[in-house]
Amino acid sequence: MVKKTAVGTLLLIVMVSMVWAGGQGEESGEAEKVELSVLWFDDANESEVFLETMADYREANPNVSFDMQVIPFSDYEKKLKLMIAGGTPPDIARVTNNHVSMLYDSLQPLNGNIENLDEFASNFFESSLAFATNPAGELVALPTEATANGMLVNKTAFKSVGIDIDELSKTWTWEDWFDAMKKVVAENEKVKYGIGYDFSPHRWSTLLFEAGGRFLNEDADGMNFNTPEAVDALKFFKRLHSEELAPHSVWMGSEKPQEMFKSGLVACHIGGSWWINAYAKDITNFEWGAVRMPKRKIRSSVPGGKFIATFKGADNKEAAYDVIKTFSDKKHNEQYCRDTFNLSSRKDADIDYPSRGKDFAVFGEDLSVTPAYTAIDWKSPELNKIYSYIREQIVEGLLENQTMEEAAENIHTKGNTFFE
Amino acid sequence: MKKIKTHGTFEQTLTPLLFLAPNMLIFTVFIILPAVFGLRMAFYEWSILGDAHFIGIDNFRMLLQDQMFWRTLSNTVVYVVSVVPLTIVASLGLSLIAARQIPGIGTFRAFYYLPTMLSYVIVGIAWRWILGDDLGIVNYLLTSAGAVKVHWLTKSSMAMASLVFVTVWNRTGYFMMMFIGGLTAIPDTYYEAAKIDGVSRFQMFRHITLPLLRPTVLVVGVLSTIEAFKAFELIFVMTGGGPGYSTKFLVQNIYQIAFEEDRMGYGASMSIVLLIIIGAFAFFQFFMNRKEYSNE
Repeated sequence: MVKKTAVGTLLLIVMVSMVWAGGQGEESGEAEKVELSVLWFDDANESEVFLETMADYREANPNVSFDMQVIPFSDYEKKLKLMIAGGTPPDIARVTNNHVSMLYDSLQPLNGNIENLDEFASNFFESSLAFATNPAGELVALPTEATANGMLVNKTAFKSVGIDIDELSKTWTWEDWFDAMKKVVAENEKVKYGIGYDFSPHRWSTLLFEAGGRFLNEDADGMNFNTPEAVDALKFFKRLHSEELAPHSVWMGSEKPQEMFKSGLVACHIGGSWWINAYAKDITNFEWGAVRMPKRKIRSSVPGGKFIATFKGADNKEAAYDVIKTFSDKKHNEQYCRDTFNLSSRKDADIDYPSRGKDFAVFGEDLSVTPAYTAIDWKSPELNKIYSYIREQIVEGLLENQTMEEAAENIHTKGNTFFE
Repeated sequence: MKKIKTHGTFEQTLTPLLFLAPNMLIFTVFIILPAVFGLRMAFYEWSILGDAHFIGIDNFRMLLQDQMFWRTLSNTVVYVVSVVPLTIVASLGLSLIAARQIPGIGTFRAFYYLPTMLSYVIVGIAWRWILGDDLGIVNYLLTSAGAVKVHWLTKSSMAMASLVFVTVWNRTGYFMMMFIGGLTAIPDTYYEAAKIDGVSRFQMFRHITLPLLRPTVLVVGVLSTIEAFKAFELIFVMTGGGPGYSTKFLVQNIYQIAFEEDRMGYGASMSIVLLIIIGAFAFFQFFMNRKEYSNE
């Protein structure tokens, strides 16, 4: 009897306390506490800068906290997919243009959820918005940084053989580049190769677009790769290797072109705009900078970018919309891009980089003449599914295990299996 | 007639089961269920983010015509049949030295065991730096000495040989410790008797050590075979499967199919085939060992 009374009394105390506590919360008008799960990856210092950039937001919204997970990029896609498949997607994630196209169905459309979205989005580059738009025409992410493929050169190496690379690169073609490179390699003991080319189909596609080719057809509903232009681009890439101007150890081995560029072994590096940030810190023993891409049929870069998004299954969508909009406004975007050394996706961004502003401008110039279809091709989920396959087929061509015509046909056929 | 009690009391039966329960639960949740789920997946057209459609044995039919499957399977078999015998020979050879009671032998053992404690990713990165064509240490030393550089990782045959060498280097220490355990379990009296009979060292190894080490050889053989079939991280970091397809193995192909091409069902069917192959190899090794025992 005593036991029953004690338990009953305890239960009563607990219930009264809960009711009282609930009443207190309402009376004081405290906002509900929200812990936003944030999934991020770093190219350099992006996760740290994200938190710094949002410091004022967190101060103004003390009820919102960030539970940030930073995942290495190599594991990022798998982790994100598994979280979505497991029904526990993050509230907010940093995603690339490839992720956006791959995850259209899982990303939460922002239309109707962010106030005046159309007006807000009109401040971003069209190519960036194209990546962030799903097949239904809805925005499923907001662009943060734009990236572009381009050429970085060892200016000291060119200068040492009497070539003014800044002047030459204003109007140069690839044939001009070949002539200059042969001179640089022949007369400069330290420079062994002309060009380090990132081991990436995305970077390789700069040559495809410059040759006037495309991966996809006009309607982007099938491959268009068994064309003379694609074969021409593949053969051109092979020529770089057979003339020993590109090292075999990058595409046929596992060496990193950035390491070769930093060590002065290669005179040029075709990579992404993010290398400006890395090289600004790492290279002190020679003069380097960005130059315009040499021209073939056309001059082109390849756009890409990073985005911020939320997911259909996210727990805290309302708070996520608020964070996404705040992080993407002019002030926060400029701060983030300046501190992470990235090109902004906003047309109205006016960023005073602490250094290397000229190099960003060069990448921006290449991007400004880049055809819009380059973004349309790379936003295709089907094309992204054969990313490794494209790379393997190109290497098989370089190794002469097959002709470049066969490589083009194989890529065309394999890609089409995903459009069927 | 007196009834003989063959079972314990209820408590005696239940207690061990209760002790086993947590482990069984973990095993079921993390091993059995995913395996069953994987088996089921192999009969579906299954995208990680989409709906699953039952397609019967179509995935397995497709495998038969998939050139990449056969190519990566053949690369895997070449790797396994190179790595396993070399690992057994190297670890057995080292254990014969390391099992002796001589001064400084502890350091010797630790030195050879050390690579085992490194993650495959670290090992892959380190050897990529050592064997790189242009930035690698070995080629730097070779060219400094006036020799020509070797295409360790950019020539197909050399890339496979380099991978086999690094795998053997990495795993020898681990299996050496197993062999040391086996060697120390052999009674000294056999060797003493053989010595009195004037038997040579090689004959002792041939007629005493090797037959008594057979169970250890079997375990090392089975474990290294399973490891070699499942190899992924080291290869992915060191060669990425290249150059071209030269070192692309079945597990990397499964990874690419499942996660990049988003064909989880097809990837699962390849995993099932891999499981059957590994099981068959392990069974064959056990069978051969048993047969030899029964012949004695």
